[in-house]
Amino acid sequence: MTTYTKPIPKINDDSRLFWEGCRNRELRFQKCGTCGHVRWPPAMFCPECHENDTVWITAAGHGRVYTYAVYHVPYHPGFKEDLPYVVAIVELPEGPRIFSNIIGCTPDEVSCDMAVEVMWDDVTEELTLPKFRPMTLSNSEM
Amino acid sequence: MALGQDEEAFGHFGATGSYALAARRAMHEFNTGPETWQHIAVGQRKWANLNPLAMTYNRTMTYDDYMNARWLVEPFRLFDNCLVSDGGRAYIITSAERARDLKHSPVLIAGLGQHNPAGYPQSATFLAGPTGARIAGETAFRMAGITRNDIDACQIYDCFTYTVEITLQDYGFFKPGEGADWFRGGTIEPGGSMPVNTSGGQLSEAYFMGLTPITEGVMQLMGRCGKRQLGPQTGTNEPEIILCSDNGGILQCNTTIILRRA
Repeated sequence: MTTYTKPIPKINDDSRLFWEGCRNRELRFQKCGTCGHVRWPPAMFCPECHENDTVWITAAGHGRVYTYAVYHVPYHPGFKEDLPYVVAIVELPEGPRIFSNIIGCTPDEVSCDMAVEVMWDDVTEELTLPKFRPMTLSNSEM
Repeated sequence: MALGQDEEAFGHFGATGSYALAARRAMHEFNTGPETWQHIAVGQRKWANLNPLAMTYNRTMTYDDYMNARWLVEPFRLFDNCLVSDGGRAYIITSAERARDLKHSPVLIAGLGQHNPAGYPQSATFLAGPTGARIAGETAFRMAGITRNDIDACQIYDCFTYTVEITLQDYGFFKPGEGADWFRGGTIEPGGSMPVNTSGGQLSEAYFMGLTPITEGVMQLMGRCGKRQLGPQTGTNEPEIILCSDNGGILQCNTTIILRRA
């Protein structure tokens, strides 16, 4: 068995439902029950209206690359084998923008505003990371 | 750098990666990129080559040196990044009345502005501008009773080359994307019409956070800058007014300070 050497998220009471959702292949976010704002990162209160009435929604799982950066240096030894790799901020139609990786294509093929869809990377038995790949044709027609 | 999410799980670390995200979005929204930034890196290096205190005093840089340097986090190459420095800087603030009796000629704070659009970088819509520099700059100009045309030189917080471009752009020195032309031809260099980061800045002198730009602004107005002194010897305007900037986060905070020779 290989050991997972990359940093793992520090899961807390606010973010637990998000990470449990990832294990179930669902991208879950908090939505303010008062003003409807969908927030990220998870928090006790809505950053827009400061109310704590919160519901969880499941996002459709696709979005667009708002911006991205191509790492050529391993700032952590766990990523040495992945170079060069792409970190992106993905903008979801539900509202949130989240950090993730763009995979399934070369760094040269990534561009701002390109359509992407979530794919699930089960990195350990307990942890699944939501990553994104270029939208496949069948999905982009949806 | 805690950005409010578990971004390290995706291999995102530190300021270079975050500013690279901002710079990449800017490249998408207007005409910018390494072709523009090379003028900032090379221009500031020319100032550093006149500054014996600069870490790169004895190292010149050509456009080829800039373009041939390795990527760190694309779109940033090595020379888009500031230096890593150990050292110290200080400036002393006192009343104008008290300062007039001191050995060195005083420098006045003519205007101050601060604007913090704040929020997490991933929720920010201003990574490609306007950053806090726009409102902070307007506030500082108003307090100082001057316009941009009265500025003789700028000392801009330059953690990365792109930071210099977006900050000057948000101050209104050029429109989005026009920096590609504005920086061309040595505008910010010795002999240029708008000297910028005349110590070499954080890219080529030393990284002392906001103290690198502001102490250089003060020293220039005191006339204590030796070979790099603004004025006839460097083919630049004799400075009366210098604009200094500081910024924090990933462009989430900006402070603008207008210094004036007493």
